[in-house]
Amino acid sequence: MTPYNWQQTLRQKADYVEDRLKEGSPVVALSTQEGILLLTVRRGQRKIFEIYDRLAFSGLGNQSDLEAVRQLAVDFAHAEGFQRSPDDVSIQRVVGVALSPALKRGFSDPLRLPLVFLGLFAQVEPTPEDDLYYLLNYDGEFSLHHRYAAAAGREASRVEMEQVLSELKRVPKLEAALEIALRAWVVGRSSLKESGERWEERLTQELRHGRLEAALLERDSRRDRRFRMLEDRDVKTALSRFI
Amino acid sequence: MSLLEAQGIRFPTVDADLRTHQVSLVDVHGTTVIAVKFDQGVLNVADRRATAGNAIFYEEAEKILKLDDETLIAIAGSYAAASEAVRFLQHSFKYYARSQLQEMSLEGKLHEVSRVLGRALPGALQGIGGFLPIVSAFDREKREGRIFFYDAMGARFESREFGAAGSGAERIRGAFEYIVRTKRPFRQMKLEEALRETLLLLEIAASLDTATSGIRRLPSAKTVTADGVQELSEDLLRALQRELLTL
Repeated sequence: MTPYNWQQTLRQKADYVEDRLKEGSPVVALSTQEGILLLTVRRGQRKIFEIYDRLAFSGLGNQSDLEAVRQLAVDFAHAEGFQRSPDDVSIQRVVGVALSPALKRGFSDPLRLPLVFLGLFAQVEPTPEDDLYYLLNYDGEFSLHHRYAAAAGREASRVEMEQVLSELKRVPKLEAALEIALRAWVVGRSSLKESGERWEERLTQELRHGRLEAALLERDSRRDRRFRMLEDRDVKTALSRFI
Repeated sequence: MSLLEAQGIRFPTVDADLRTHQVSLVDVHGTTVIAVKFDQGVLNVADRRATAGNAIFYEEAEKILKLDDETLIAIAGSYAAASEAVRFLQHSFKYYARSQLQEMSLEGKLHEVSRVLGRALPGALQGIGGFLPIVSAFDREKREGRIFFYDAMGARFESREFGAAGSGAERIRGAFEYIVRTKRPFRQMKLEEALRETLLLLEIAASLDTATSGIRRLPSAKTVTADGVQELSEDLLRALQRELLTL
């Protein structure tokens, strides 16, 4: 028996991170006909970012930790894209090769504070069926998803969000996708099962204090960069019922 | 006999003429590129020829390239050096925007082009790898198209009306002035009028410069305006091509 129990240390670190992630605003991403929609409601800093030509990222956690991971992803993607080709930069390489081992090293180091971080990465492809989503955890573990993905501070909330998104039987147009993404977000934000509250009412309340943030990673674009933040006019119709 | 030769080590020897010939075949050059303002922004036109010494190397070369959604670069000179510089610039602008979460300013982009040219200078002084770019941008603050040209060391100059680079450019320089003084400034022209003038200039350059192919092969033409970069339609170019070749 040593005075140092590494398993206990890891558990304490995990508890520390999960405790802080609980209150984070969830993030939703789903494939639409026009591209990949990423959506959240924020009270503070921006949460949805472009990583590379076909890659976008969002997440929850400490702003400085999100920023550290974002910079690492951007640096890796651009170095690889310049040395080889933009076609060689993939979500699998960014998450699996660059980020995951780095997060794992940081989390396993007993002398370092763990990153308070939960990331959602998306890669747009020519057809929605081929779009890819990766959820990356604070300890470096990651999982692959298709059609949609959700990140939330509580596992139960994430499952509830995915239940909402799984109701989609066809690839929606952006307008319809915005509505279901908003519903998934509010379900992840607050357990409606317990309160019995209608999701529309809850969303209206949330939007009084927070601001909708949404971006589209365009499937077919004339522009050099496929990523664009959606502006008020893009979300006006979808939001009109709630504000 | 030197000590190395005594050991059986030989250095390859190259005849001076052969060396010159080889260098010219190694370094493929783009030829004539033109940029003029028009009432909505800037128009770029270029022939499709790339030469290696006195040989025609390629007749489908693209010499007008997009640096980003608001900036075009037209390249004349070493194709390899210019292509690599453009690839670097494209990546550099995107990297800046994504990492800093704001677009690079026009001034910042123009400095970046200067730095790239400065780095290519040692090669250019050895007679290989030199190139000259014309940068066209839509300035969102001034709400107008702008044209910049450079010397081989990276000094930047802004043109009020037009810019041209490449072997055919010097031969038609006076014709630009003639058009501006006798017809009207390019910046007052509609797109189609500016396009007609520049295609004719390209054809004149071809008649004076063997390295320029003119408009007998469909040239490349792009604009940069408030709506971004656009490639002009083949139908429009073919219609003007037919009209001008019958003059």
